[in-house]
Amino acid sequence: MLDERDARGLNPDARLSGLFAEYRAACPDPEPSAMFTPGLWEKIEARRSFSYRLKLFSRAIITAAAVLCLLMGLSLSRPEPSASYLEIVTADQSHGNAADEDLVAVLYERN
Amino acid sequence: MLVDSELIKRACQGDDAAFNQVVVAYRKRILGIIARLIGRPEDVEDVGQGVFLRLYFSMGQLHAPEVFEAWMYRLTVNAAYDYLRRRKRHGELRMSDLSEQQVMLADAVAGAKREDELQRRKRVRELVDTLLNSVSEQDRILLTLKEIEGLSLKELEMVYGVKENALKVRLFRARQRVLKVYQEMEERSAVPGATEG
Repeated sequence: MLDERDARGLNPDARLSGLFAEYRAACPDPEPSAMFTPGLWEKIEARRSFSYRLKLFSRAIITAAAVLCLLMGLSLSRPEPSASYLEIVTADQSHGNAADEDLVAVLYERN
Repeated sequence: MLVDSELIKRACQGDDAAFNQVVVAYRKRILGIIARLIGRPEDVEDVGQGVFLRLYFSMGQLHAPEVFEAWMYRLTVNAAYDYLRRRKRHGELRMSDLSEQQVMLADAVAGAKREDELQRRKRVRELVDTLLNSVSEQDRILLTLKEIEGLSLKELEMVYGVKENALKVRLFRARQRVLKVYQEMEERSAVPGATEG
């Protein structure tokens, strides 16, 4: 430790260095408690099991996403109708008109 | 290094027994650094466990065992920063906590030391804490690592990830700020050495 007489002979910078050295000696490293390492391993285990569950959950999500992609791919790969939209609408319209005509005929006959 | 590089390598490869040996070798040193950085004995172990927890889950990223210590110091400094930030958010005062810590630390060594020696040490701790608390948190941590923990510039370079010259400048400025406060205190005869023989 720095003695007062020694300290007086030094410049402030050197005195500050001496003070830091004294401080280091005055603050010894604390002894870890008996529970330090077991407590640490408990935390590690808890984190590990959480990570494991998270990993399982992520895998399930990835599998579900892959299946969904596959199904969507299959549905998109089905052959499209060859007729154009206009043709389909026209056919539907004509079919609808024919049905109406049949209905009118039946009603006419009843009356 | 406190352990050989072979042990570090084994711990990096997921060997729990090797990791446990690393913990046993370094826990006291790390707790000491944390105690001096955060100044709250009751939280030191919790923060220390946090450091080793981070270490455990990031061991696989360590490529060279030679940089292990600097890397661990970096984790320690980051954990201390996180803790101090949390505490600041909760509006807790550091100065009063530290004086409480001085008393507890003094109590811990009281049985083995003479009372006057103990008093002197207590005053030194309080003085250095006051000096370090007079500068910013960054300056305080940097000075603590360099001047008190004795880390080399090379180690600090790895801890902070900045060039040695930039560190020298930061250290010099931080030290100058502390020195200024120290001289002002000396002038006011507040230094323990000036009041006792």
